[in-house]
Amino acid sequence: MSVLDVTLESGVQWIRLNRPESMNAVNGELRAALVAAVRDAERNPEVRVVVVTGTGKAFCSGADVREFASREGAVDAIRGEYERILTGLRNLPKPVIASLNGVAAGIGASIAMACDLRFATPDAALVEAFVKIGLTPDGGATWFLPRFIGTAKAFEIMYTGDPLPAAEAERLGLYNRVVPAESLEETVRDLAQALARGPAMALAAAKRSVNFSANSTFDEALDFEFMLQGVQMQGQDFKEGVTAFLERRKPEFKGE
Amino acid sequence: MDFEFIRVQTEPPIAVVTLDRPKVLNALSPALVDEVTVALGQLDQDDSIRAVVLTGGPKVFAAGADIGDMAERGPIEQLRRDQTGRWAKVTGFTKPLIAAVNGYALGGGCEMALMCDLIIAGDSARFGQPEINLGIIAGAGGTQRWTRTAGKYIAMEVNLTGQPITAWRAYQLGMVNRVVPAEVTIDVAKQVARQIATRAPIAARLAKESVNQALETPLSEGLAVERKNFYFLFATEDQKEGMKAFLEKRPAEFKGR
Repeated sequence: MSVLDVTLESGVQWIRLNRPESMNAVNGELRAALVAAVRDAERNPEVRVVVVTGTGKAFCSGADVREFASREGAVDAIRGEYERILTGLRNLPKPVIASLNGVAAGIGASIAMACDLRFATPDAALVEAFVKIGLTPDGGATWFLPRFIGTAKAFEIMYTGDPLPAAEAERLGLYNRVVPAESLEETVRDLAQALARGPAMALAAAKRSVNFSANSTFDEALDFEFMLQGVQMQGQDFKEGVTAFLERRKPEFKGE
Repeated sequence: MDFEFIRVQTEPPIAVVTLDRPKVLNALSPALVDEVTVALGQLDQDDSIRAVVLTGGPKVFAAGADIGDMAERGPIEQLRRDQTGRWAKVTGFTKPLIAAVNGYALGGGCEMALMCDLIIAGDSARFGQPEINLGIIAGAGGTQRWTRTAGKYIAMEVNLTGQPITAWRAYQLGMVNRVVPAEVTIDVAKQVARQIATRAPIAARLAKESVNQALETPLSEGLAVERKNFYFLFATEDQKEGMKAFLEKRPAEFKGR
């Protein structure tokens, strides 16, 4: 059995962390597999939507501590791989959903936050416990958290290392929705498949614009989204969308 | 003249020059550079053209010089065929020249973009001088124009590390006028060219010349050049037309006279 289970189903690429015996801790093998999976998801045109989830009780318990303890010397390589995974997910021109089947800690929390949407079970707390081993968070957590939940909450969980319960993460807008464990996969599958039938160019452009806004002023963002909209107006999906609207039927998008 | 390595589309009052060797990422062979300079020479003489866009197309601007062409050459040969000196003709173009950059603008490609008067960058654009990775340095302005536009420390970074910078960083450094979605880079550059083309051509030429003088001279000399150009423009019909139109609250029609 591979440490990462990757399957394509109705346009949805399921990327499943699969080291349940260690709560899906990220070791070198899993990092390399994630790098490859993110790259393949970008290149494969049949992949319209990506879901990242885990097998077993946890989504991901963070970096594998056994490897973590001896990571001196390999830091640059690890950083490069983290960057390709996290930046890769953020720049992937397709919707990316985190399906948090359990706790998301450390790099696991960062992978969840690099996704566009987060659905979670009631047990899926978000944890930044670096402080407990005398470290500062990595994986972009110090960038994500103040933007997603504000600085006060971000500092609280980074300073204390205490888990942020799923219900509170939902209330703070960090998670889209918390659903019962037994219905998480179905909820995510329904949404992912609906998005996979959506206007792919428009979805990708929305993601590009949101990413662009992380650097830009309001006026620059206005300009950028207007130009992207101009591109979409020449596409087939827009024609179909408008026609379907006028004909009062559901549009059938082709992603063109 | 028919071109082999570039395409020239004239859509008066603007023209688009497209580097067109996509299989080799628009590598800038001496023959390609010559074609660019010949095309610009023709467009400079063409009164129907008032601004020009220079681009490498939707995917890549130009990923440097042709390494295969250079690998076995010696210094005397390089000097005699004037490999980088011949590029200087691009900077002699008197009309506004706008670079539309998507993807990599590396080495000579980056230097060619920096020779232009404005740079419109797609969000995919990357600018860099990777020559140092090959045991050489930039040879067509890369150590000079980066320093004059982005400053010494950035120039050192790109020229010493060989690592390219993103469109966004280039924008923050003031090297790029706008960052736009890569799909529309060329269209936006053409819009800017058309806007400039509605302005008085002789004034545009002297504005370009005056701005460029700022990089060549002490301030007092640059100001003197600007003043003389300013006074000179009062000898043009376009100045009379421009001011008359302003007073009559109508758009001016400039003739380049």
